[in-house]
Amino acid sequence: MQKVFNNKMAIFLFVFPGILLFSLTFLVPIVLSAYYSFRDTLSPGTPSAFIGFANYTELLFHDSRFWLALRNAVLLGLGFILIQHPIAIFFAIMLDRLGGKAEKWFRTIFFIPCVISVVVISKMWLSLLDPTFGAFNKMLDSLGLGFLKHAWLGDSSTALISMLFILIWAGFGWGLLFYYAGLKGIPDDLYEAASLDGASGFRLHWRITVPLLSPVITVQITLAMITALKQMETVFLTTNGGPGDSTQFLAVYLYNKAFSASQYGYANAISILFIIVCLLATYLSNKLTRSDATEF
Amino acid sequence: MTKSTKTILWVFFLIVALVQLFPLIWLIDFSFLSSNEFYSSSVLKWPSDPQWQNYINAWVDGKFLRYFINSVLVTSVTILLTVILSLTLGYAFTRMQWKLRPIFFTIILLGIMIPIHATLLPNFAIFKALGLTDSYLGLILPYTAVSVPLGTFILTGFMRSIPKAMEESAVVDGANIYRIVFQIIAPLTAPALVTVIVTTFLNCWNEFIMASTFLSKDALKTLPFSVMNFAGQYSSDYGSQFAVMVLTSIPAIVIYALFNEQITKGVTAGAVKG
Repeated sequence: MQKVFNNKMAIFLFVFPGILLFSLTFLVPIVLSAYYSFRDTLSPGTPSAFIGFANYTELLFHDSRFWLALRNAVLLGLGFILIQHPIAIFFAIMLDRLGGKAEKWFRTIFFIPCVISVVVISKMWLSLLDPTFGAFNKMLDSLGLGFLKHAWLGDSSTALISMLFILIWAGFGWGLLFYYAGLKGIPDDLYEAASLDGASGFRLHWRITVPLLSPVITVQITLAMITALKQMETVFLTTNGGPGDSTQFLAVYLYNKAFSASQYGYANAISILFIIVCLLATYLSNKLTRSDATEF
Repeated sequence: MTKSTKTILWVFFLIVALVQLFPLIWLIDFSFLSSNEFYSSSVLKWPSDPQWQNYINAWVDGKFLRYFINSVLVTSVTILLTVILSLTLGYAFTRMQWKLRPIFFTIILLGIMIPIHATLLPNFAIFKALGLTDSYLGLILPYTAVSVPLGTFILTGFMRSIPKAMEESAVVDGANIYRIVFQIIAPLTAPALVTVIVTTFLNCWNEFIMASTFLSKDALKTLPFSVMNFAGQYSSDYGSQFAVMVLTSIPAIVIYALFNEQITKGVTAGAVKG
């Protein structure tokens, strides 16, 4: 048996292709990105000069957009954690209690937005929130709330919250599914024991479901922060960071710097900081949430 | 739970489902309207004269069929490669014994955390230098690379729960390592493999930003570009734009309807074991 597991040739054949592909599309690019980030490159392949940390000092100390993009990611992440996830947990619990065919049907329906292409989602919401023909404003009108009518994505005071709303709509199904799956792993007898002790309804879930779900919640919080940081396509296709940077995110910013503003070197410096921020966020949220996670 | 609370819950869910699906219902409804009907005050509108022409425009000018075939090709090759690589990597990380295992495992898992957008710029330069832009491979390679880390993560979690006795009896029967992995372990990990296949499908089928960066040749473009084709020339023809969005959404919804049970099972298995 040992001989089989030590088969060097097999290990090489199993690992090498994956590592090679991964290196080609992740590791080499990161090294190259680091190289470009120290140069004043305008576009890939053009001659450029070494400028040391100039791109980085500019970014960290003089570029308010960079910080705005980070702030937006944090706000979005908090929005996910404080709004989307509690709703997802609530629906997972309710769905679990519903049982039978209906449980399966609703679970299927709630997930549908998650399978729809980001291009469709973006263009659809752009239309839904359109100030002239969008359904959202028409609905406000028909409810007698016409005074709330708004260019939701076109106004810097509502653009970010509208974006959060779109992303919650699009991603709700995934959150629901993960919490639902976590719930299915909690043994029923724990509930029976607790209800014998007199706990019921909300208290029962607060005391039992939520703590027992905490491993899932931990992972989901980390994922929420990463999702917020990585935000790109929906923003890119709806507001492209605007109006006035109110929906600016790092990925959108670096993309536009590289391909529209012809500041390839600078964009690569953003890339490198972006990677550092993502790794740091994963590490931090793991550390913060793991410490008070309940074991069972 | 009493019957009446169950009914209340059922009605509540029905309302929420309708609210949640409303954008899609609206999209379908308006895809049958002519553009001047868009500005009427009603939220939903029964199409008095359904504009089937919108769907013909969507099919023809959205180049639906060509992009659809490209999407099928790119996605299926990506899925095949992802499954093979995740399976072999997963096996090497859980069962095989070698020195660099923890380092390589960490490196692969970094792929889950590193955003593809951060590697997009240098990748564009590399792919351009290698002549990979404007080729199917230019999408298949990065799509596979992005999918493999999660696939490997899901499969290692699953493989740890498979008893080693399986392999031991296979070795006694004279099977070599390759037969063990592809004929014994692969079928045993089927539920996890389905999860890998479905998540890879959803990610690649709907992917847009890499495709739009790496492709400029029209003949190679994937399905999301059907929608993008209408941004310029048809920007005021909302009916056709909506029709193309409906058409683009149908394949993914059909696939999901067919595999929805497996998705949940896969995620459940992952969540309980992870």
